[in-house]
Order: sequence, then C-alpha cells, then structure tokens
Amino acid sequence: MTHLPFIVASYAITLVVVGWFTVDAWARMGRARRRLAALDRRPQR
Amino acid sequence: MSASQAFPVPSRNLHRFANPGRFLRLSGRLLPWLATIGIALSAVGLGWGLTLSPADWQQGDAVRIMYVHVPAAWLASFGYANLAAASIAALVWRHPLADLAAAEISPVGAGFTAICLATGSLWGKPMWGAWWVWDARMTSVLVLFFLYLGHIALVRAFDDPQRGARAGAILALVGVVNLPIIKFSVEWWNTLHQGASITLTGAPTMAPAMLWPLLLVAIGAMFGFAALVVARTRAAVMERRIRGLLLARAQEGEAA
Amino acid sequence: MTRKRRRLIVLLACGLGLGSAAALTLSAFSDTLELFVPPSRIATDAPHGGRAFRLGGLVEAGSVERVSVAGQPAARFRVTDGGATVSVEYVGILPDLFREGQGVVTLGSLRPDGVFKAQEVLAKHDENYMPKDVADALKKSGNWHPETGAAPPAAALWNDPQTKITKAGS
Repeated sequence: MTHLPFIVASYAITLVVVGWFTVDAWARMGRARRRLAALDRRPQR
Repeated sequence: MSASQAFPVPSRNLHRFANPGRFLRLSGRLLPWLATIGIALSAVGLGWGLTLSPADWQQGDAVRIMYVHVPAAWLASFGYANLAAASIAALVWRHPLADLAAAEISPVGAGFTAICLATGSLWGKPMWGAWWVWDARMTSVLVLFFLYLGHIALVRAFDDPQRGARAGAILALVGVVNLPIIKFSVEWWNTLHQGASITLTGAPTMAPAMLWPLLLVAIGAMFGFAALVVARTRAAVMERRIRGLLLARAQEGEAA
Repeated sequence: MTRKRRRLIVLLACGLGLGSAAALTLSAFSDTLELFVPPSRIATDAPHGGRAFRLGGLVEAGSVERVSVAGQPAARFRVTDGGATVSVEYVGILPDLFREGQGVVTLGSLRPDGVFKAQEVLAKHDENYMPKDVADALKKSGNWHPETGAAPPAAALWNDPQTKITKAGS
C-alpha cells in the first residue's frame, strides 16, 4: 500500500477524536443519571 | 418523584417537545438506534474503503484518506447548519432545549472540523506537496473551526447561562455567512483544492467503486453525529435538573 | 404582530444586511482571494519587479524536461491556460502528482527574460477519482488523453459495457 503512514495517521486521528467524543458523552450521561437518581432518592421536606 | 412529574407540561404546540421529561424519554428510545446505525454503516464503509475499494490511478492508496476526510468535511458544514437552526429556534421561539442543544453541537462540530483539517493536511503533503496552503477553501474551513471554538467559549463565558446562550446564538448566526463561502470557494476563486466530485445537479466524477463506500461512511457519520449530539444534550438536560434540585434544596435549607 | 414574528423579521432583516455586506466585501476583495495568477493574466494581475507570486495552470504536453543542476534534480516545463504559456524553471523534487496535463500551482518570480523561476511547485488534483485499470483502459482505447489536460469521459460510462469506452481497440 502506498502512502501508508499518511493513511494510518488519518484513520488514527479520526478514530481517536470520534472515540473520545463517544466515551465522553457516554460517561457524562452515566454520571448525570447516577447523580439525579441519588438526588431523587433523598427524602424531600 | 420521576423526571416527568418535575416539570409542568406546556400547552403550546411548538413547545410540545420542549418538555425535558418527554425529551429524555423520546431521545432515550432513539439514541441506541442512532448509535448502532451510525457505527455499523461507518465501520462497513471504512473497512470497504480501506481494503476492497480500488487505488486511484494518480493518488495510489492515498485516495483512501478521502473516506474519512470528505464525510468529516460534510459534517463540519452540516453541523454548523444545525447549530444555526438551533440558534434561530432559541432566539425567535425561545425554545428551552435549543440553547442546550446549541451548546452541545459546537464541540462535536469542532471535532469533525479538526478531523477534516488534519486529514486534509495528511493528504495534501504527499499529493500536492504541501501540508497547508492559504487558498479560499482551506482558509474558510479554518474560519469555520474558529467560529466553532468561539461559540464554545462564548456560551460558557457568562455567569448567567441565558446571556451566554444569547451571545452564542448571535455569533452562530453571523457565522452562517461562511457556509456558502466554503461551498462555493472552489468555484468563485481559483484554489489548490479541487472542485466538488459529488454535486446535486451533475453526475459524480468518481468511480462507483469509490463512491459507494464514501456514501456509506458519510451516512453513517451523520447518524454518529446525531447520536453524539443527542447523548450530550440528554446529559445537559439532566445536569440542568441537578442544578435546579440542588438550588431548591439550598434555598429550603436557608428558609428552615 | 406577535413578538415571535417580530423577532423572526428582525433576524431575517439582519441576515439580509449581513449577507449583502459580506457579498460586497468578497467581490471587492475577490482578486486577493485568488490563490494564483494564470499565464494569460500575468500582464494585468501579477506583481512587477521580480516580486514573488503564484503562477497556476496546466503543464503543457511535451514540455517537461527533467535535468540535474549541481547534482540536484531540476525541471524545465511550460505552464499554459490555453491563452498564454510561461516557461518555468525549478530546482527541487517535484510532487508525486506532477505530470503533463496536470494542474500546478507554483510560487516564484518572473525573471527579466520572461522565465518563471519557481521556488515551490505544488500539483493540483482535479475532481476526478478513477481506478488505475479504468485509467489504463481509457488511455489504451484512445478515449482519453490526460497529457492534454482534457477531462475524462463521464464516470457513469466507465463501467458501462454498452458504451465500450474502456474496451481497448473498440
């Protein structure tokens, strides 16, 4: 395959950026859901 | 107390989907589909582009960079159009979810614009002979990247989130003028960047064996973009509710 | 008129004003937004007195002469836009995509003898994406002469057995 380093770098950058966004969104949703559940469980006065 | 009970249901038609409880329910059902379709189509398209699709007669295998560069470029502009639509909904109709969505679109759009710029550079060095040239296409896409960054910074720069959202919406709408410049830069002025191979009006100037994987990745990336924005907006809705609850508790505590 | 409608109209008016302002600005600065000067516009658009600018056009068929200057690769070729032609001299490695009929953008300056002394040569790719076997077949069958800078036949015909344009000798 010609130009292999350029191809590998392009796909790697794409996967790293998209992967980071995916993991971040996933973790953020989970964090918010857990905090919300904890707040809702606490007795209201 | 469930999420849906916590918010009064507005009676106005347009704000039917603005109810955060309803948004969380609907988007929760939608999200797995968006994510699955996005990942599946992108994976098949990228695999096809990397292995089965033919090399170009001039570019050799460097043509495979196109399968990530072009979808990223399309999404960079498409994402900005969505940011502008959310900004209009926020400014004109005061849609309560539009501000939250706009603040979540711009980081994702900036990410795809960065991918577009980086992969374009990685293609340009071996093909053109330069990492970067200040032609109209590349400069206008760099301006798009800075518009995204400006929006990200502006919506978070005010103590009052309402004012930040207002300022960000105005910036986003002013920046819309850049979208036709990006699209037509390769026609209005002479550039190093090539013209469009795929247009709405004419036949594509690309071999079908390259066109199909490209379209697969592009459609998959669009689903992926939507999934990321929906997921981030869900998180933002829940975070806003957490802030509201904490604030209410603190005020109750003071009153007691 | 409701407040929503008023806000929408204000927004549209702002957009119209901004759009026309941008259009006027861009058309006023249109010359500086061009990346290169084609050969036929050198007399009017290029800077004078040996100052650097970018020259752009197609590499003329049969004009490329690869030489060696003090052990370094060098090349002489002509750049044309159909109307006018300029001779270019360059010392250095040409990009992979450089060939006859290819678009090039080259940075340099005009010598008094009218030869363009290039410091940098960039190859321009066009909007055609073609597998190698299709390109070979088109060239072999005489349906395409890339060295002239001509566009290939429409991509939809490449694999069409009816047209047979990729079949040799048809």
